[in-house]
Amino acid sequence: MIAVLRSELNRTLMIRASWVSIAATIALGLTFGVYSADFWTLFAGIGAFGLAVLTTGQHYQHRTAMLLMLGEPRRWRLLAGQCVAAAVVATVTTALSGLTVADEAAQWRLTVAMTPLIAVMGVAVATVVRRPTWAMAGTVGWLLIAEGLLGKLRAPLPFSAYLNAATGDPKQLFIFAGWTVVALAGAAAMIRRDMLSH
Amino acid sequence: MIETRRLSKTYGAVAALRDVTFAAAPGRVTGFLGLNGSGKTTTLRLLLGLARPTSGEALINGRRYRELRRPLREVGAVLEQGVAHPGLTGRGHLRTQAPLAGANGARVDQVLEYVGLGDAARTRTGEYSLGMRQRLAVATALLGEPPVLILDEPANGLDPAGVAWLRGLLRSHAEAGGTVLLSSHLLGELELLVDDVVIIADGEVRLAAPLAQLTGSPRLRVRGADLRTLYDAFTGYGGYIETDGSALFVEGLTAEQAGDIALAVQVPIYELTVETVSLEAIFFELAAAR
Repeated sequence: MIAVLRSELNRTLMIRASWVSIAATIALGLTFGVYSADFWTLFAGIGAFGLAVLTTGQHYQHRTAMLLMLGEPRRWRLLAGQCVAAAVVATVTTALSGLTVADEAAQWRLTVAMTPLIAVMGVAVATVVRRPTWAMAGTVGWLLIAEGLLGKLRAPLPFSAYLNAATGDPKQLFIFAGWTVVALAGAAAMIRRDMLSH
Repeated sequence: MIETRRLSKTYGAVAALRDVTFAAAPGRVTGFLGLNGSGKTTTLRLLLGLARPTSGEALINGRRYRELRRPLREVGAVLEQGVAHPGLTGRGHLRTQAPLAGANGARVDQVLEYVGLGDAARTRTGEYSLGMRQRLAVATALLGEPPVLILDEPANGLDPAGVAWLRGLLRSHAEAGGTVLLSSHLLGELELLVDDVVIIADGEVRLAAPLAQLTGSPRLRVRGADLRTLYDAFTGYGGYIETDGSALFVEGLTAEQAGDIALAVQVPIYELTVETVSLEAIFFELAAAR
């Protein structure tokens, strides 16, 4: 698991697309934070989720997931390593992107504290879907239609719970954590699938 | 040591592999031959733990891949024409692999030089030719200094010089006591490289034997003025002879002996050729015939 973590962190730092995405997320977060702390929280959540989907999904897109599986054939440990790596990257990114909401210290702390969970959810979704574009498009669709239009961001759904927890209803944290566990359980079952030729 | 025991894999209703049993021994290069879709890649994936068998076992050094404690220090694999993130340089790719293989930075530079990518170490793999990607895949496999190498069509994309390089590399790996299993359809190249041959067709092993035993001893094709006299003379000297009426096919005699015998019995010889059975002929007989 430690080897996977080190490999993943090396990779994130060396692939230009990865650190450009991280830098862009930080820059946009800093900008949004100036206008609205709530909007920053929403954006930071989507950013953390997106970075996690990107780093995990790329492995399936470019077939390098095979190399990870050869290095760590016990797939649950592989998943754990990927989750920790994504959580570290996302948490650092979110913490830095929120420096402009410093006067809302409680919200900053809650958002940063929940970032590892949302990163784990991103890894889990990408592990199940195995295609980063579909994973992101599906998530945006879900967010707009299920959580936004139908649930009005008040229903006990993952992103709504994350948003409400960060903006003043800490009890929603449990709902959000529950969804993360569900996603992780799905990923733990699905990562055992065969890696076939393309 | 690589072994499969009654290995079977079914996708839905389709049986991709049926009771595949063979072994690849240390110190030898084993060629795994089959047409496209015969089950070669599936077998290698099961050996490497990338897919689960429906039944049977795939073992490396007596254990399933998932049970190997430090897999990349025991097994190196070359798959799918070299997989790498196109945005990483050759060195960057190996440095992301290094923690998994328990290798350090010095080892990364060493394998880059060894596979001839020293000058391309800082080039992004997205700009690599197919041959360079294949060399990078070999470097990735060698990173953890594993005794066992499993290679799926490793000669694909290599130019003739690259193929000769790979042949030398794999031969010296086997001569140093390593186990090499490679799949290929480039039969001519394999014939110069492998010690043992496993032929697979329609998901079943059709043949597993040492190459030397397959191609056997060469036989002579002899045409002459009086086949009857030649037949009797060759038989008298211990030759084993078959004929199609126009030529004799002689086993157990050298070309020199056959020429001397013909001279002794005063029969003019019109043709005296040494024929060896090629791996290709055996392969097409077993794999291509349905």
